[in-house]
Amino acid sequence: MEDYASQIVKAAVKQGAQDAVVEVAVDRSHQIRFSRNEPVIANRWRKTTASVFLAVDQRVVAGEVSNFSKIPERIGALIKSARAAPKNSGYRGIAKGPFKYGRASLDRKITSLEDGADYVEAAVNGALEEGAKETAGSFWRSHEAHYLETSNGVSAEDERAHVYLSLRALVSLDSSGHGVSCATKLSQFDPEKAGHKAGRIAALAKNPKGGKPGTYDILFDPLIFGSLLDQVGARASAWLVDAGLSPFAKQLGKKVASAAFTLYDDGTADTLGHRRFDAEGVPVRKKAIVEKGVLKTYLHNTSTAKKAKVKSTANAGLIAPEPFALVCQPGDWTRDEMFKEVKDGLWLTNTWYTRFQSYVTGDFSTIPRDGIFRIKNGEIAEVWKDVRLTDNLLGVFKRIKALSNKTEQVMWWYEVTTPTIAPYALATKVGITKSAM
Amino acid sequence: MGDTDLVDFAVDYARTKGAAYAEARYEQHFREAFILKNGVVDFVENSEDEGIGVRVLAGGSLGFSCTNTLTKAEVRGIVDGAVRTAKATKRKDPIVFAPEPAVTSNWSVPEGKKLVDVPVEDKIAAVQDIDKAVMGLKYKIPGRFYTTTCLRLVKYFANSEGSRIGSYSPRVRFHHYLTLLKGGDAEQSYRNYGWSGGWEALDAWKLEDRVLEEARTCMNGLEHGTKSPEGRMDLIVGPPVAGIMAHESCGHPTEADRVLGREASLAGKSFITPQSLGMKVGSEAVTVVDDPTVEHAIAYYLYDDEGVRARRRYLYKGGLVNELLQNRESASSFKTRSNGASRATNYDREPIPRMANTFVEPGSWTPEEMIEGVKHGIWMKTYMEWNIDDKRFNGKYVGREAYLIENGEVKGPVRKTVVELTTPMVWGSVDAVGNDLDLMEAGFCGKSDPTQSLDACLGGPSMRLRGVRLR
Repeated sequence: MEDYASQIVKAAVKQGAQDAVVEVAVDRSHQIRFSRNEPVIANRWRKTTASVFLAVDQRVVAGEVSNFSKIPERIGALIKSARAAPKNSGYRGIAKGPFKYGRASLDRKITSLEDGADYVEAAVNGALEEGAKETAGSFWRSHEAHYLETSNGVSAEDERAHVYLSLRALVSLDSSGHGVSCATKLSQFDPEKAGHKAGRIAALAKNPKGGKPGTYDILFDPLIFGSLLDQVGARASAWLVDAGLSPFAKQLGKKVASAAFTLYDDGTADTLGHRRFDAEGVPVRKKAIVEKGVLKTYLHNTSTAKKAKVKSTANAGLIAPEPFALVCQPGDWTRDEMFKEVKDGLWLTNTWYTRFQSYVTGDFSTIPRDGIFRIKNGEIAEVWKDVRLTDNLLGVFKRIKALSNKTEQVMWWYEVTTPTIAPYALATKVGITKSAM
Repeated sequence: MGDTDLVDFAVDYARTKGAAYAEARYEQHFREAFILKNGVVDFVENSEDEGIGVRVLAGGSLGFSCTNTLTKAEVRGIVDGAVRTAKATKRKDPIVFAPEPAVTSNWSVPEGKKLVDVPVEDKIAAVQDIDKAVMGLKYKIPGRFYTTTCLRLVKYFANSEGSRIGSYSPRVRFHHYLTLLKGGDAEQSYRNYGWSGGWEALDAWKLEDRVLEEARTCMNGLEHGTKSPEGRMDLIVGPPVAGIMAHESCGHPTEADRVLGREASLAGKSFITPQSLGMKVGSEAVTVVDDPTVEHAIAYYLYDDEGVRARRRYLYKGGLVNELLQNRESASSFKTRSNGASRATNYDREPIPRMANTFVEPGSWTPEEMIEGVKHGIWMKTYMEWNIDDKRFNGKYVGREAYLIENGEVKGPVRKTVVELTTPMVWGSVDAVGNDLDLMEAGFCGKSDPTQSLDACLGGPSMRLRGVRLR
């Protein structure tokens, strides 16, 4: 497959590209989806595609190539598109290689895994044992090989594999819980634990009543905190800042969160986002996005970094910089201590549908789902439903009071798109609203 | 072997491997897109993706596999994989498909200005002209972000029951963010338009007029907007707001797979249950349809991805739950027939029940007539922030362009009107539906795992709600 990458780069340069980046990805993943406690479909992928980035006389073009018998024609079409475009005055080039990379980390027990039905069964049974009546979710065995070649001296390979299970347990429509298990080593994969967690929350969440609007101290479970961290990580991309789609514009060096909060992007960490290099071939590294509450950097590729007169943070995607794995530095609180700290508040376990009124101001709302618990003096006093968290993104992070000393790896669907290591988090005076009847 | 031959081979081969049912779908997506960001063409995209997906019923379970290597050996490999994994999933309750007749058809979308005939430089120039017109307003607009996408979608579907359907579907999408500043205040706007057809889309949308109007109303809100009043009052919503309400509070909860729990861990379930047909959810004025056959609406199609003929679905009719969006798998569970709602985003995804063009069926009222009947209320023409819970019962829509109405007259702009209502409250409060149907608004509808973000029409007519609590 490295031959394809090399062929495409050569064809692009021959046809006039000054910069060419080609990443061939070979996907051999499989998945089992389940609902109502039974598998509903088994999916398998056998795809080999090339992501192509070219710059021709400061004009930028990108595209996918999926038919490798048509490489010269496809590259011709890309070059023609580039030449038709006006110059991108903000484009500053790609990284200059070669680079040295860390060793690839791969568990062959995962790549040789042919099935997953037993893992599904273990997770479902775990939830049912806790009192759940219904479960749904997905088991994934992801396996991808990546071959990167550039016109600027980069030639690199990576092989990535992980297992993942997401399960939602329901006692009723209004009483549910969610658990996930993420692992890059099969020995660390514990779908049964995810099932138990989801089932336990669902059982705790029985007979909820409508919540009351107001401001509350909120204890965020790692899964929902991961959703908020996902927003911070994504909005830290220099490309989105430049587009006016981030609350972090003009915030470098300024306080954007509580001093208790430090967030890293770290593609080298042992997470589902682990990789050896970014989309330009720059070796990934750990960097603080927010350190002790202060915004330290945007996420950059070579071009956005040069424009900002800084070094690339090794976060290149095909076009825009992006986070690969978010790691929130743990605090020094135990989970029990955090619950005891909540005198009159809520414990939220999951959320979805986070939307902004303005990315510039960071005003947003999101809808807690699964267990929503009213906490009084550290104990569950009531179970709630039908409330919405309505606040400001930076405002919530500035009001973080405590982070747990233990973290969990979370990732889930559209909500936690970047693999994230998240602790429990306690934030004060968070806005809660609800629908008028 | 040609691509359509490979599709036919996949179906025949699957039957020999023990599949009770097999279907195969070849898709070829030509995608040309560009982003104009703050006056600079950030990049142009030129992609071509083609491949074959195979879905089988074997041993009472579903198996799906796909490849973009279009050889007989590779297709044989994905069929083997789909059949083997379907049989291995250990399902106790066998999946059955509702019956459908075999169909042979070839359909396409009328394309006024063929997308291949319009050079990309002309497409870029058209959007640059719009941006120049926006800048000609002399407002402070530091964030101008326009995405234009042209998709040409070629499909060939075959199944083991004898269906053979080819199609060609060109589509144009345009969405933009504008960020305007005035003093220390900012207003951000997002609009999204869709068209099945060719480059005539820009004329059909009257795109420049729409973008300029968006910028003007943003600035009007910044300069003259006041806090939206709180309390119980009347609300008139414009076509985009009625469209998103129809999508979120009717289309999603009537997806049959969601009602059955197949999406429970993802987009969620529904307040509608299998027993809810005939349940009252709104006033008699409310009829919400989902119709893939509306020519030029973004989600136009004539046969779905299971080869079932598309038709208008009356989801809510006269305020009652009337019909669910079905594919063949869900229809069998409901002991009914598919209504042609099964779609996949590409060859590498399974088809599932999806909305197409979902909208409130228009009534006879003009917006002016609706306004005349309001003593105290809000006219919310567009929105920005929105969301809804995963059972589709608690929705929120925050106004972008909105005005106060006093004694039947439109007064000044109000900012960030919050409509946070239950689904029965939304539909139960409707007393008038407009005749101003506008189906140009579009969105990206998310569902399934792996995610399938699909074109959906989010337009509609204006609509009046009586006595709802706003803030």
